[in-house]
Amino acid sequence: MATRTRIRVRVIAAEGLYKRDMFRSPDPFAVITVDGSQTQTTETAKKTLSPRWDQAFEFNVTENSILIIQVFDQKKFKKKDQGFLGVVNIRVGDAINLQDRTSEQTIAEELKRSNSNLSVSGKLVITISHNTGGSQPSQARYQAATAPPPQLQSPVGPPPIASPSTRSAINQFPGTASAAAAAGSQQRPAAPQRQFSSFEDQLGRLPPGWERRTDNFGRTYYVDHNTRTTTWKRPTLDSSSSARPATNETVVASPLPLSPVPTAGGGGAGVDQTVAMQMAATGATTSGLGELPPGWEQRFTPEGRPYYVDHNTRTTTWVDPRRQQFVKSFGANAGYNAQRLSAMGPLPSGWEMRLANTSRVYFVDHNTKTTTWDDPRLPSSLDQNVPQYKRDFRRKLVYFRSQPALRILPGQCHIKVRRENLMEDSYREVMRQTPEDLKKRLMIKFDGEEGLDYGGVSREFFQQLSHEMFNPVYCLFKYASSDNYTLQINPDSGVNPEHLSYFKFIGRTVGLGVFHRRFLDAFFVGAMYKMMLHKKIVLQDLESVDSEMYKSLCWMFENDITGIIFETFSVEVDHFGEKKTIDLKPNGREIEVTNENKKEFVELKTEWIISRPIEQQFKSFMEGFNELIPEELVQVFDEKELELLIGGLSDIDVEDWKKHTDYRGYQESDEVIQWFWKCVAEWESDQRARLLQFTTGTSRIPVNGFKDLQGSDGPRRFTIEKAGDPDQLPKSHTCFNRVDLPPYTDYESLKKKLTMAVEETVGFGQE
Amino acid sequence: MSLKRINKELSDLGRDPPSQCSAGPVGDDLYHWQASIMGPPDSPYAGGVFFLTIHFPTDYPFKPPKIQFQTKIYHPNINSNGNICLDILKDQWSPALTISKVLLSICSLLTDANPDDPLVPEIAHVYKTDRPKYEATAREWTKKFAI
Repeated sequence: MATRTRIRVRVIAAEGLYKRDMFRSPDPFAVITVDGSQTQTTETAKKTLSPRWDQAFEFNVTENSILIIQVFDQKKFKKKDQGFLGVVNIRVGDAINLQDRTSEQTIAEELKRSNSNLSVSGKLVITISHNTGGSQPSQARYQAATAPPPQLQSPVGPPPIASPSTRSAINQFPGTASAAAAAGSQQRPAAPQRQFSSFEDQLGRLPPGWERRTDNFGRTYYVDHNTRTTTWKRPTLDSSSSARPATNETVVASPLPLSPVPTAGGGGAGVDQTVAMQMAATGATTSGLGELPPGWEQRFTPEGRPYYVDHNTRTTTWVDPRRQQFVKSFGANAGYNAQRLSAMGPLPSGWEMRLANTSRVYFVDHNTKTTTWDDPRLPSSLDQNVPQYKRDFRRKLVYFRSQPALRILPGQCHIKVRRENLMEDSYREVMRQTPEDLKKRLMIKFDGEEGLDYGGVSREFFQQLSHEMFNPVYCLFKYASSDNYTLQINPDSGVNPEHLSYFKFIGRTVGLGVFHRRFLDAFFVGAMYKMMLHKKIVLQDLESVDSEMYKSLCWMFENDITGIIFETFSVEVDHFGEKKTIDLKPNGREIEVTNENKKEFVELKTEWIISRPIEQQFKSFMEGFNELIPEELVQVFDEKELELLIGGLSDIDVEDWKKHTDYRGYQESDEVIQWFWKCVAEWESDQRARLLQFTTGTSRIPVNGFKDLQGSDGPRRFTIEKAGDPDQLPKSHTCFNRVDLPPYTDYESLKKKLTMAVEETVGFGQE
Repeated sequence: MSLKRINKELSDLGRDPPSQCSAGPVGDDLYHWQASIMGPPDSPYAGGVFFLTIHFPTDYPFKPPKIQFQTKIYHPNINSNGNICLDILKDQWSPALTISKVLLSICSLLTDANPDDPLVPEIAHVYKTDRPKYEATAREWTKKFAI
C-alpha cells in the first residue's frame, strides 16, 4: 500500500465553459475532492465563461487517490443539477510521481459531463505538486498548459501497474475509508476518464481477455473476449487478489458509533468486515470504487445525504451501486463467492443489500418490506438442500424477472385488434412480428376504442384472448376429463389443418403474457405444466387427462393381472377405422406384460397416452413459448408455480371456501377446524393457492366460487375428513377435493404439519 | 392386446354361459358384439327377450365396453336410446370385469331398478310413487317390444 503524501493542488482557471443560459454567464466555482473525503472549494468567479481562480489547496494522498474537480454555477447550486458545468477526474499517481519530491505537473484537461448528460464544454487547468512550501508561479504554467498539448502522464508504455493486488478498487479502499469515515464527507467522485489503454482504467488492469471500449454515446462498456460478450459493468479481477492492506488502524479507531465486529476470525478479515459494516450502516461512501455504472448519477438530499439515481430504470436508491460490489467482495471473507456474485449484476429493483451486525449479508426487499438472507439473484436450484427456498415462489419470481432475457427491449410493440375478430386479428398480429418485437413495450389497441395501454388494456386483451384461444369450440383445447375448468390440448385438433401454427401462436401468446406480466385466464392440466418443464409424467398426471384409463392402470398396478390383462408392450390405435399397433419399447409387441414387468408397462403407457397424441401440437406450442421465455429460465419453477406464473393467483375468498366446506368426523365448531381456518386466513395468497392445489389439484376456482367445485365424478364440495394420526401430515384426495386432517392437539402443530404438507408435496404421492 | 382378451372372453362364454344371457360377435368384427338378456322371472320384464349391442373400445379392457339396449324397455335407468345408467359401465369399471359379469349386472338392474340415480326421471318418479303403475307399464312395453 502506498504511503500518504501531502500534495498541493492549484486550481488555476477554466476556459470556454458551456453557456447554459442565453442572457447571462455563470458564476463558476470549483469543488476539489480527494477520495471522497477531503473537500475544498474555490471562490466564486462572477459572470464569466473563463473563470480564473488561481487558488491552491493541500491534500493527503496516495498514488491511487482520485482527485475530482467539479465546476458549478454558484447561482444555480441549489437547483436540481447544481448548475453543473463539468468535471475532471485525475488519479494522482498518473499525474505526478510521488516518489520524486520535486515533481510538478500542469494539467489542462477537457471538462467531462456527469451522468446527468448535461452539455459541458471547456477546459480546466491545474497544477499538482508536492507540498514543498513555496507556492508555484502559476502564470507560466498556465501559458505552458494552454499552448501546446498538455503533457499528461497518461501511460503510453506499460501501464503503471505494480501488482494486481494493489489495483482493485477494493484494495484502494481501506486506506481511504478511514478518512471517509472520519471526515464524514458525502462527496462522491464522479467519473474519472483518463486516457488509459483499452485494457485498463483508473482501477487498474482489466482481467485477462477483457477490453474497455466506448460506444458512440461516449459510454464505456467492456468486452469479454473470452466469452464474446459485452457488459456495462466493469469486470473485477479475481477476488483472491483483493489482498487487504496492512495498515488499517485508523479504521478501527474511527469514531463511528458502531462497535466493531468481534474479530474472532482474527487478523484482517475481521477488520475488513468492520469497514464493510460501517459503510453499509452509515451509508458513507468511499472513493476508489471507480465510476458509477453508466446511467447512474449521484445526488444529494437537502440534508446532504447522497443518493443514487439509476436513469436506466428510473429508480433511486440510498445504496451506492459501487458499494454493492464492495460489500460483495468483502463478503467473500465471510464465505461468499464474490466471483459468482459480481457476475450476477445489480439487485432487482427495490432490493437492497445490507450487513447484519453479525456481518452477515442480508437483503431488504422494499417492495414487500421484508428481509431475507437469500440473495434474490440466486436461482433456487442452488439451494436444493433448503426446502423452503425451493418453494419460495416470490423469490424465484424475482430471480426470474431479473434475468436479462426477460428485460423489456427499447421501443414499442403495437398490436391492434378488433374485438369481434379477436382470435384471427391476434393471430395475425402476434405472428407477423418477430419475437424481438414482441419483447418491446406492449401497446394493445382495440379497434375503434380510445383507451391507451397503460396496462389495463393489455390485461383485458389477455383475458379476452384466453377465452377465445382456449375455447373448446376451436378444437385446439378441451377440458380435462376430471373437471370442467382445466384445459388440455385436444388430440383431435388436426380437424383444423392450420392447427399447428395456431398452437405456435398460443405458445407465443402464453409466453407474451408471462414476459409482460399479464395473466391468462387459463389453467392447464398438471401434465401440461410438467411437460413444459420437461418433468417426468407419472401415473397420477393421467387422472385429469383420462380418468377412466387412470383408474384401470391403477387397478392393474395393484392387482394380479393373470388371466385378465393380455397386453404386450405396445398400444393399438384406431387410425380412421384401421387398427395399428405401435411399440412402447423396441420390439414391444412381442413382449408380454406380466405381474413382474407391469410397472414399466404402466409408466410407458401413461407417458404415451399423455404426450403422444398431442406431440406435434405441444411441440409447436413450446416453439412459440420459448421464443419469448427461454426454456432454461422457466425451469426454476415447479409445475404448480408455473401454473401461477401463467394464470396468476386466483383471489381466494376464504369465507366462501369455508362456507362451502363439508366435514366428515369433524364439526365446524371443532377446535381443529377452527385452527385450520385460522391458519388459512393467516396465510399469504400463494400459500392458499398451494393448499388448494394440494387438495383439488389446481389453484383455479370455478367462476361461481367454491359451491361449484368439481371432483372427478361431478360436483364435489371441499371436504375435511378426520383421519390419520396427529404425528402424521395431512393427506389429500384431489379427485374428491378432500383433505384428511388428523386431530392435532394444538394450533402450532396443525400449522406446522399443514404448511409442511402443502409446501413439501411435489407431485402427487397421495393414495 | 384387446383382441386377445376379447377372444378369451368369447371362449369363456362358450364354455360357461351365464344363465338368462348370451353374447357373441355380430360378424367378422370381434370388437362388435350382440347380446341378449331374458327378462328376469320375478320382474315385469319376464317373458321378454332384450337385445343389446356391445362395442369394445381399442383400449379394452382399460376402458369399459359400450353397451346399449336395442329393444325398447320401460326402466328408470335405461332411456329411449337404449343407454344404460350403470356405474360399472362408467366410473366403476375395472379391467377385472367381463362382458359376462356386466350382463349379469344388467339382469339384476332389471329386477332391482335404482330410482335414486335415474336416467329417466319421469319413470323413476312413477316407480317411487305408484309402483303398480310402473309394473303395469313395464309389462305392457315388454309385451309390445320384447316378445
